[in-house]
Amino acid sequence: MNEMTGGHTVKAYNEELNKINQLVIELGKRGLDQLRRAVQTLKDEDTKQAGLVIDRDRELNNIDVKADEEIIRLIAKRQPVARDLRDILTVQKVIIDLERVGDEVRKIANLTIHFYDNGKAPPSNEILHDIYEMAEFVDEMLSMSLQAYTELDLTVALNVIKLDERLYKEFRSALRRLSTFIMEDSRNVGQVVDIVLALRALERIGGHGKNIGGHVIFLVTGKDVRHEDLKMINAKVASLI
Amino acid sequence: MEELVNQNGAVTKQFDPAIDAEIDMSLVRENHGSETVGEISVDDPRVTCRNVDVFYGDKQAIFDVSLDIGKNQVISIIGPSGCGKSTFLRCLNRMNDTIDICFVTGQIIMDGQDIYDSGLDVVPLRASVGMVFQKPNPFPKSIFDNVAYGPRIHGLSDSDQHLNEIVEKSLLKAGLWEEVKDRLDQPGTGLSGGQQQRLCIARAIAVSPEVILMDEPCSALDPIATAKIEELIDELRENYTIAIVTHSMQQAARVSQRTAYFHLGKLIEVGETEQIFTAPAHKLTEDYITGRFG
Repeated sequence: MNEMTGGHTVKAYNEELNKINQLVIELGKRGLDQLRRAVQTLKDEDTKQAGLVIDRDRELNNIDVKADEEIIRLIAKRQPVARDLRDILTVQKVIIDLERVGDEVRKIANLTIHFYDNGKAPPSNEILHDIYEMAEFVDEMLSMSLQAYTELDLTVALNVIKLDERLYKEFRSALRRLSTFIMEDSRNVGQVVDIVLALRALERIGGHGKNIGGHVIFLVTGKDVRHEDLKMINAKVASLI
Repeated sequence: MEELVNQNGAVTKQFDPAIDAEIDMSLVRENHGSETVGEISVDDPRVTCRNVDVFYGDKQAIFDVSLDIGKNQVISIIGPSGCGKSTFLRCLNRMNDTIDICFVTGQIIMDGQDIYDSGLDVVPLRASVGMVFQKPNPFPKSIFDNVAYGPRIHGLSDSDQHLNEIVEKSLLKAGLWEEVKDRLDQPGTGLSGGQQQRLCIARAIAVSPEVILMDEPCSALDPIATAKIEELIDELRENYTIAIVTHSMQQAARVSQRTAYFHLGKLIEVGETEQIFTAPAHKLTEDYITGRFG
């Protein structure tokens, strides 16, 4: 991120931008770690750990608040313009996406508590299979988006955006598969609905990864691709890679 | 002052023949190579500058600057110290004439008239292109006489009553009337810094200029006085064309519609202020406004 934070005559300005940047990277690392831990609690049927994942979301919120304060302070103090202004506003959007990743992860940890701490029969591994599959896919997307941000890598950013289309297809086919469990036995409805909500949370985490990919493209190229389809994004960005 | 045609066919206004003879114009031309980014022309120009070069003796301070200043527009001229922005501003009312070793080539046209035309009288020119300086410089006279001075020497009033009207109108336009109407006979130098600067603006307005040049008009003022001057600039825009040199990026962003960035005597970029401060096209402009200029 030297490209973004460096080069100012006032060294303290670089340091302030760097500090915000480090908070973003920290928020991203913690979000990814939380995702992995939340999915593991489901696999391990560990409600205690699930509770800890939920508690730890407060730490992400604290980083979010701290980063916001730093951004407000920097804008008031330095009055950034041009690229600096674009960068700082975009970084704020990355922070919003990462903070929401934490919120979605909490839903998955809540699912563990819901399934294994209510005295009812837990769901079969077969019915949970789609969550694990999709979690791996989303883990990959989030990791790539963080890499794209840290290294300001256009290729990786574009790949995350491409993966989002596949993620949506995975989500749709998981819904189809889950509907067969309901058709087999209508008593599965309750568990399937809970699992669909968890899949939706995972799908949103992938969506936030995609958003971060778009933000990275804007940081590097100044081109806003948030509301463009993949074909248009490719046309705008491919020539710059 | 003599008028010569140099080897490139451009008319040269020569201030000092001895120094002029020492300068190899062909070498100077080779040093140009500046291509301004952005649209130098505007639809309705008040001032049109084309290929303006300025020399202090054998040292060239401005290189081939072409720029339009639009009617009822504020243009900010920004750039690091020594980039030639004040020199350029001073060309617009021939204030550089007062410096012996300074001479200007190229064209500066105002209302169809080249202001460097040898037949042009600079006194009415400086009345129609007023100037406000960095430090407020009221005359050691009363507030009234400070404003009345210009109209008197230019013969703009035909009676005392008319002169009173001009003074009142000018002070009103400069946003100072309410503060000084009851003490017009008191010395201008007794006012606060911000009031003195507004008095200088009133003095400039009193001779009905078309263009007002401001050379860092707020650099000696506190934030409140600065805000008043900026508000005034915005109001004056309705009737005047304003060119302002400023070191404050935020001031340039706040008060002007167009911004020109100078670097080492060259006009690097000119454009809508909004564009310059959000997405400048030239790297030098961006480095300067983001504080990366080394």
